[in-house]
Amino acid sequence: MRENKKETPLMMRWTKILEPISIISLLGCGIWIFMGTPIETEMGFSQKIMYLHVPTVIVTYLAFFVVFAFSIAYLWKRDMMFDQVAKSSAEVGLIFCGLVLVTGAIWGKPTWGTYWVWDARLTTTLLLFLIFAGYFLLRAFATDREREARLASVLGIIGFLDIPIIHKSVEWWRTLHQPTTLLKVNEAGEAKPAMPMDLLLPLLVTMLAMLLFYGYLLFLRIQMEERYHVLQETIVKKEGA
Amino acid sequence: MKTTYKFLIGGLIIFAVLAAISFQGIQEMTVFFHTPAEILKTPDEFQDKTIRIGALVQAGSVKWDAKTLELSFNVTEDSQQFIPVSYQGVKPDMFREGQGVVVEGKMQGEIFQAQQLLVKHSEEYKIESKEHQDKKEYYKTLSDS
Repeated sequence: MRENKKETPLMMRWTKILEPISIISLLGCGIWIFMGTPIETEMGFSQKIMYLHVPTVIVTYLAFFVVFAFSIAYLWKRDMMFDQVAKSSAEVGLIFCGLVLVTGAIWGKPTWGTYWVWDARLTTTLLLFLIFAGYFLLRAFATDREREARLASVLGIIGFLDIPIIHKSVEWWRTLHQPTTLLKVNEAGEAKPAMPMDLLLPLLVTMLAMLLFYGYLLFLRIQMEERYHVLQETIVKKEGA
Repeated sequence: MKTTYKFLIGGLIIFAVLAAISFQGIQEMTVFFHTPAEILKTPDEFQDKTIRIGALVQAGSVKWDAKTLELSFNVTEDSQQFIPVSYQGVKPDMFREGQGVVVEGKMQGEIFQAQQLLVKHSEEYKIESKEHQDKKEYYKTLSDS
């Protein structure tokens, strides 16, 4: 039906490259975080979870941005390939969004004294998770593939709009969650991370490793999706013959 | 045609209810806590209602009795206007003078009776204390406690 087969070997090669690189670098980051990085003064040991919480947030933002971009691309060009990418990225994004909520709760208990509060940052993040859980319900209920892709694209675009709200929630409203550290604006009006280099560098490297891991999961998932549809088309052809 | 109208009316009702609930929710969510200044301005409005106050723990105001688990302190923003808070329960590890806190409870007269004590943490990360620099020793103290 389409010429996806030409693109597949390239993607397979990327998946094969990203698999060992991302997994080994994540393991390396883990060792570095526990053995090499200094203990933060205020929070002590529990601050270590920042190295998992923040990179998962970044991946969640990126994954749903990819959903947003490819949903627009689908509605514009009506190419199923774009919908497959959006669906795959939404799936990875949903898992990472769940991880954000879980790691946040684990971190919240020792620092705030509670796993959960209904403040604006946490509530809008939960909303993001629910929107994309609904996104898959919508896909599951749609009967024909074109219609599924069209409806999911619309929801994917709307769902992404929650992310700027999440990001700005700590500025717009009074929250228990602290304001941004990495893009903190100092007195001089310039954005500078409110964190010493010894803590910042491992965070940025872990972020990069997590992004590579996201790339690996995304490529793997897109391949699965392609193979699934090739298989279905073959079955339909055989049954027709 | 008739079923379409039914769905339309039903849909509108559901939408209106959802909108009303979320509007209330958003109002509550956006004012996660009140400041001491807001409460001291109109104290009668806040009497005996469950509310949250967010402010800093005033330096020198903390009294802690580890035996009875009674904790009292003042919350303030500018260290001029303050509200005395009384709380019974475990003192959180991160609780310090000058720290941002959110307390949930009721104003009873002049005193705020807190049921929940949450500690805010600053967006600034620091590495200052040298005693924790030796990680082996630090991890040992964790497993002991």
